[in-house]
Amino acid sequence: MNWKKFFIAFVAAFGFLFLFGFLWYAILMHGAHQEVRALFRTESEFNEHFLWLVLGHIVMALFLTLLCVRFVPAGGAGPCALLGLLVALVYEGPHLITFAVQPITTKILCGWIVGSLIQFIVACSIIGTIYKTSSPVQGRILNS
Amino acid sequence: MKRFIFAFIAAFIFIFLWGWFYNGVLLKDVFNEAQSLFRPRGEMMSLFHWIIIGQAGLALAFVMIYASGFAGGGIAAGVRLGIMVEIFAVGARCAIYATQPFPAKLLVLISIGGFIEMIVTGVIVGAIYKPAVARTSS
Repeated sequence: MNWKKFFIAFVAAFGFLFLFGFLWYAILMHGAHQEVRALFRTESEFNEHFLWLVLGHIVMALFLTLLCVRFVPAGGAGPCALLGLLVALVYEGPHLITFAVQPITTKILCGWIVGSLIQFIVACSIIGTIYKTSSPVQGRILNS
Repeated sequence: MKRFIFAFIAAFIFIFLWGWFYNGVLLKDVFNEAQSLFRPRGEMMSLFHWIIIGQAGLALAFVMIYASGFAGGGIAAGVRLGIMVEIFAVGARCAIYATQPFPAKLLVLISIGGFIEMIVTGVIVGAIYKPAVARTSS
């Protein structure tokens, strides 16, 4: 494993996940979230728990980087984007379950589904672009 | 393809039963402590089909990832994938904890259950799904 490339890919993935999350969930979906305000922390409470948000994104970025390196060792934006799609699909199941058990609106559910699809596909393609080995070995996902 | 379908069905049945037993029975009282964040029981039951679709989607995506990049490694590879998927879910739960007022105890217990769920799902999928090459050589 090329640890230098791994670390750069991880940092880039974290930066994208965090920035996109802020733009999509905090800015674009702000109005939708306000419709069920009781389900979310107040601003001061959120500020107190902000480190958890950062930690969560670090863990997600690390997982995505590890999975891309393990799954598509040759790297490349395309195969990694496909992996990102599969990871997003794993994540959509819990979104649907959340919709059944928590009083979120259909608008929020759709926003979360579309947001996570974009977020994970783009994050994985960034990782694949950075973690690209010069080895001619193709990613296993292509051989499946 | 046949083994893919068997693995998916077995994983789905396990995820469904485990979800019911762990979240619905074992953690019932802990969930009740955060009742204001959940739908009333009647409303939840009317949306129950979304839980089934969500769990089926999770099982299907898990088997697809396993079949695309982990198959051939058997049960050990399934367990590795399960652990990785759950680590990712723990990261997502940290973000949820920052934005929603869930009790920390509830999220910790859900994560413990999630690790058991994904590891066993990995064992099931790894034991059932075998790539065509591995089957012909054995």
